Amino acid sequence: MAKWKIYTPEGVQDILFEECYLKRSLEAKIRKLFNSYGYLEVETPTLEFYDTFSTESDITPQETMFKFFDQQGRILVLRPDITIPIARIAATKFKGARYPLRFSYIQNAFKYNELGGGKQKEFTQAGVEIVGSSTPEADAEVIATAIHTVKAAGLKDFQIDIGQVDFFKGLMEQTGLSGQDIEQMRVLIDRKDFLGIEEIVKGYNIPGELKELIFNLPGLFGSADIIDRVEKITVNERSIHALENLRSVLRILEDYSLSDYVSIDLGMLQSLNYYTGIIFRGFTYGVGFPILSGGRYDDLIGQYGEKCPATGFSLGINMVMTALDRQKVPAEKPCVDSLVSYTEKGRRNAFRIADELRKQGLGVEMDITGYGIEELKEYARSKGIGGILYILDDEHIQLHNIITGEVSDATMGQLMNKAL
Amino acid sequence: MRYLTVALSKGRLTDLSIELFEGMGIDCSGFKNPSRKLIFADENNKIKFFLVKPGDVPTYVEYGAADLGVVGKDTLMEEGRHLYEVLNLGFAACRMVVAGPPELQGKLDELNNKRVATKYPRIAREYFEHKRRESIEIIKLNGSVELAPLVGLSEVIVDLVESGRTLKENGLVILDTIADISARLVVNRVSMKMQSERINSLIDGVRRKLEESGDGR
Repeated sequence: MAKWKIYTPEGVQDILFEECYLKRSLEAKIRKLFNSYGYLEVETPTLEFYDTFSTESDITPQETMFKFFDQQGRILVLRPDITIPIARIAATKFKGARYPLRFSYIQNAFKYNELGGGKQKEFTQAGVEIVGSSTPEADAEVIATAIHTVKAAGLKDFQIDIGQVDFFKGLMEQTGLSGQDIEQMRVLIDRKDFLGIEEIVKGYNIPGELKELIFNLPGLFGSADIIDRVEKITVNERSIHALENLRSVLRILEDYSLSDYVSIDLGMLQSLNYYTGIIFRGFTYGVGFPILSGGRYDDLIGQYGEKCPATGFSLGINMVMTALDRQKVPAEKPCVDSLVSYTEKGRRNAFRIADELRKQGLGVEMDITGYGIEELKEYARSKGIGGILYILDDEHIQLHNIITGEVSDATMGQLMNKAL
Repeated sequence: MRYLTVALSKGRLTDLSIELFEGMGIDCSGFKNPSRKLIFADENNKIKFFLVKPGDVPTYVEYGAADLGVVGKDTLMEEGRHLYEVLNLGFAACRMVVAGPPELQGKLDELNNKRVATKYPRIAREYFEHKRRESIEIIKLNGSVELAPLVGLSEVIVDLVESGRTLKENGLVILDTIADISARLVVNRVSMKMQSERINSLIDGVRRKLEESGDGR
């Protein structure tokens, strides 16, 4: 029995006229912006081997991936992410290429996400990756691109939080915590669970100042002066390097004139096995989740070939659309400007006129209904079409303005002259 | 100014939460009207409140439908949501424990097939599988969990214990403590950043209030 034939599975959606129009126009703006920064677009397969995504860093836990088998019994997945395929491409297809490489993509990805708040199981991601550069300029460029992308999408009130995971890693080295406790600590700091942090720290003999710093880590977010404050009480080299790196990225962003969008969060610690330096997330009103995330991942590409530094970000298009909707940003709507109807005598001219109008950039629909003019007006009104051109023959053309109800007459000669 | 939205837990935490916010000069009188309205607002402070089942509070907060929430640590552990847990409110204190018959005291390891009855399957699994590295069989119950070992439904239970009286009266003992539980103030991750000034001042207000009354840490 075809019990499910009229339904779609949970977490995937049909995207209809207005929403689809808005989505495509967002994608077009973003694609143009990526291009203008010199990022070249790639397309990666929807299906890949499971092995590609079961990396050491474990950023996509296996239970979150859609899995199935190919004819040889190998495990396939629907891509849960686009950065990993690009890392694979960079390592295998661009060996010996002249660095840096700038990739961009706008593609769907698939994950067993919990639904709601803009989250779907099939979702569209737009992003860029810079491969083969470890400079702070690369990190800053990626963040600047992210900011401009969000602006191009039409959001004005948003914020990018920047962290540096090496700061935390340095502190942890200094404490001598066990690997398991470090992971526990990461989760607790990421959750800003002060009590839990105290619990772990108690079990170790950690010097007073360092202990204080770790306690404060979840609260170390806000303006850039946090870096100066923290630098004074940090002693280990790795953490100090991290702060210096963060500061130079901020200075570059200052020269980009983007400081207003940026703030600091030293307690931002998601996916530590994956990120190796600068890390960032973007927030806006109306959605409870970040709309974008990114950072430096210098160890990923090496898992597919030669080691190579890289940094990038990805933006959730569906999240952005949710935010635009909640913030009531006026949406562009698809529209048909004119409807061209004709008698048999006027048919040849009707097609000429329609072509001419299309060349001028108007949306023109040909009448195929066989309706009379009154019924046609009713149809045009219900579809939001602005006007009807009714072509009887060379000399007789009626122009019906649907909005005002006005009717005027014209000849073929008049119309084509006006058009040209 | 935007409203800050606070989700409160329905049940034993409700009165304590309201008391806390009223102590800070926030108007919660809406809750005292016996009406069916679900949302109340303090117009002066631009704060909205609503009451939901405890298990739903973390969901509302994670999705950003509420900026803040008051909820028990037990619920937070069981729901495992992504949110900021910023303050221990200290009230409604109790413990999450493993309990069973006295003859299992110190012999929990020796039990081959462990059946664990609980209202908190996730907490039980997390504790046995990750902390003790043991496989278990979970039996999910909705109440009177203490009954399970008595009638042979399970060997042990994982449950909240306040005074320990119910356990005692049923001849059970605490075999291990999993966590100390109390009410927590939680914050949505995006709200914490986008509305940090107001939320931080609210958190500071709550913290001061707790210090005055000597609760919390």
